[in-house]
Amino acid sequence: MLRVDRGFGRRGLDSRGRLLALLAAMVLLAAACTGASEAGDADAPEGSAGGGDTATAGTGDGGGEAAPGGTFVHAADDEPLSLDPAGVEPGEGGETMILQVYERLLEIDPNGPDLVPGLSTEIPTVDNGLISEDGLTYTFPIREGVTFHDGTEVNAEAVKYSWDRVMEMDLPGSAASVLIDNVTETAVSDDGAFEVTLDQPSASFLRAVVTQMVASVVSPEAVESNGGIAAGEPNEFMLQNMVGTGPYELISWNRGENLEFEIHEEYWGEPANLDLRVEVVPDPDVRVLGLRAGDYDMIETDPSFIGDIEGAEGVNLYTEGLLVEPIHIGFNLNVPTDELPSEDTISADFFHDPRVRRAFNHAYDYDAFLQGALGGFGDFNPHYIPQGIFGYDPEAPVYDQQDTAEAERLFRETGLWDEGFTISVITEEANLFEIAALVLKDSLESLNPNFEVRVLAVAEAQFDEAHASNPMPYAMWVKNTDPFADPDAYMQSYVHPDGEWGEVHGFAQGYQDPEQIASLIDDAALELDEERRAEIYSELQNLLYDDPMWLIAAQEGIANAHRDNVEGFVLNTLWPRPNVKFALFDKS
Amino acid sequence: MQIRDYVLRRLLILPLLVVGTSLIVFSLTRIGGSPIGIYLSHEMDDQEVAQLEERFHLDDPLPVQYVYWATGVLRGDLGWSGVAAAPVTQVFPAKLTASMELAIASAIVAVVLGISLGTYAGARRNRLPDHITRIFSISGASMPLFWFAILLLIVFWVNLGWFPVGRSNAEIFHSIPHPTGMYTIDALLAFDLTALRDALWHLALPAITLGYGATAIIARMMRSSLVEELQEDYVDAARAKGLPERLVLKRHARRNALIPTVTVIGLTFGFLLQGAVVAEIIFQWPGLGRWMADAVLRGDQATIMAYVMFTSVLFLFVNLAVDVVYAYLDRRVVLGE
Repeated sequence: MLRVDRGFGRRGLDSRGRLLALLAAMVLLAAACTGASEAGDADAPEGSAGGGDTATAGTGDGGGEAAPGGTFVHAADDEPLSLDPAGVEPGEGGETMILQVYERLLEIDPNGPDLVPGLSTEIPTVDNGLISEDGLTYTFPIREGVTFHDGTEVNAEAVKYSWDRVMEMDLPGSAASVLIDNVTETAVSDDGAFEVTLDQPSASFLRAVVTQMVASVVSPEAVESNGGIAAGEPNEFMLQNMVGTGPYELISWNRGENLEFEIHEEYWGEPANLDLRVEVVPDPDVRVLGLRAGDYDMIETDPSFIGDIEGAEGVNLYTEGLLVEPIHIGFNLNVPTDELPSEDTISADFFHDPRVRRAFNHAYDYDAFLQGALGGFGDFNPHYIPQGIFGYDPEAPVYDQQDTAEAERLFRETGLWDEGFTISVITEEANLFEIAALVLKDSLESLNPNFEVRVLAVAEAQFDEAHASNPMPYAMWVKNTDPFADPDAYMQSYVHPDGEWGEVHGFAQGYQDPEQIASLIDDAALELDEERRAEIYSELQNLLYDDPMWLIAAQEGIANAHRDNVEGFVLNTLWPRPNVKFALFDKS
Repeated sequence: MQIRDYVLRRLLILPLLVVGTSLIVFSLTRIGGSPIGIYLSHEMDDQEVAQLEERFHLDDPLPVQYVYWATGVLRGDLGWSGVAAAPVTQVFPAKLTASMELAIASAIVAVVLGISLGTYAGARRNRLPDHITRIFSISGASMPLFWFAILLLIVFWVNLGWFPVGRSNAEIFHSIPHPTGMYTIDALLAFDLTALRDALWHLALPAITLGYGATAIIARMMRSSLVEELQEDYVDAARAKGLPERLVLKRHARRNALIPTVTVIGLTFGFLLQGAVVAEIIFQWPGLGRWMADAVLRGDQATIMAYVMFTSVLFLFVNLAVDVVYAYLDRRVVLGE
């Protein structure tokens, strides 16, 4: 190593300079600590978790008392990908924000499944004449005196613009098909009402279409001033900004940090009590700590964290009810054998035999998944209507117990018991879906050493790529369903031979009577008599027990945690997760 | 050769290094598979996937894809970040400045602690203060960062309520302009003591966590170098001339001991900048680390490539800066060129 003798007489920073630097450091440190103590002493302590707050609920276990404040702070587990109703993906975080800021013609009542008027003053029925006799035309009288956040007027033209915009843009991955597949025409009537003409009568239109986030009403002025409408192209302004009619206005989106909303003072309905800040906190441990510290008024969590939250001072845990997004494992009846992983030994018609699908359902260790991954918070539902959705039949047979004897019997009947098989199941990594796949692996391999299940846990992007493929290059996959408000959506997506997954997975090749299944689903979709409609769905649920196209691991339980000073708490699983409208809340 | 010529020569080579790095980065990320995944949702069908592939030129041959990407970079277009749902160039600056602020603060903690501890230990070699100091500094490198971070959170955030997580109180943050993007600097420029206080208050825990972890490396190098220097003849000569030990240490030995330590400090800063992922996630710091963690887990190649290119170029510049400082400290490095 080179040495340089600088000699005597060279002076670096002299002692006076060093003293000044030390003093400066001490001043800065004192300033920081003074900031902390001042915040602790203030009437409205600032529990600032990544963003600001005029006042929040106070400190947690070892700290001071919670104090009333002007902002409700919610810690979300993920960041939205789009704030545009035309672009938001069903079940994605953006739907939560859209629920708070935008409105629709009709809404779902906070306390139940009933519909309530939104931007429309009445709920269309045949009796009040707002549904035509043939069931094809719906008329929505528009509420007067309502303005968008930009001050422009809400009218039927704006509603038509919003719906037409979604259908014209038809963005990949969006829920545009909800409108496109049902709506033939939109119009403005002579008396200023909004009219929709369907391509066929639909029992589910109001609930499955009109109340959905994709049907939210946006400000035409805001869109036209910022890029307008381009088919197939997202609008960058609307993706990042929100101009609706709801009780909240978006103030800022600080990516990776938070979204800030303030009360819309000119809201036509019951105004919100508090401003809103949604913190983006991907780490579940930090969310729990923040709730206990009082920095967050509410957090998104899952059943695995209930043990950390239960009994914590100042925290309420709400675990009633079930999410309407069952976790399921798909059977691919359209297996492209030349594209499967090389280790797989199954044939192209492996799942065509319903006995094989029933055997898988009987072999699954449901208790292990429910008690293990979900901490006991969850339940099971018949194929394919979740609990909490109209048409759910509590008397219908359900796969909720492992029956290894029946599974073995069925496997022996089909010859697979001695022959064995190796099969791959693809899933997103590091979440409940991977655990569900591992339980499947354990269930089958414990049953018979000739059975091998390879769990391919991959990144979300890789999974989505495989998921979008047709044919899908995997025999099985794990995911949860999209949340729907109406049973027809579940049936069309996950059961109908010609539906979304019916086509991709070739359900028609596996159903014992695919025409009967299709006919029942189509009849239920058109049946306006609710009693008769429920009967049809009951019949379907009984039929599908013997002809399952999925393995439903569980219906996950709700786990909501909030501070005990939160007032007006209400949760509705038919709203997008976390299933709440923050405008209804207050803090004591 | 003058230092100026030395620096110019290094700067001329730099573009070649950057291009070479970009080829390696692009090739390696594409080996992992198509980047289309992050733009997909499970709602899409194969036709929509094909549309997206055409839109992002992912159906073109790899060299053509590289040309599209490289020309985009030169135009300032680093692609669309799937995890941030925004252009990479829109999101990158804010996250970069946030990470830089944290890295600088952590580096200050590490440098101050590291040099002080290293000097203290080196001057008292093999005595009790030396052993205690080494234990203290090495414990910082030994403790798992996530564990230490959560421990600090539980104690100082949850239990005592002394420090918050995140970067700022939003109301205070928005009350001042942000010309630099670094909250502390912006607060100083605005002469706003409230904002400065808020910035430092939020910076304290993550900076201490990260800085303490980096202290050991600097302290260790400083100690070893100082011990070596104190054994040199010129130190004996200084002592023989009657200089107090304090001056021997500070005026002579320490300056020479800083030469290798500066190299370590430069590398440490680079690692702090890119290695703060865990701290950013735990302390909710909206920096590059958090963004990258998300991007890697979700296969967002545009974001990953932008980040890797940035850190590669940063390292090239940091190494250049270190070489320049080295040349300033020891002119024989320049003469040798």
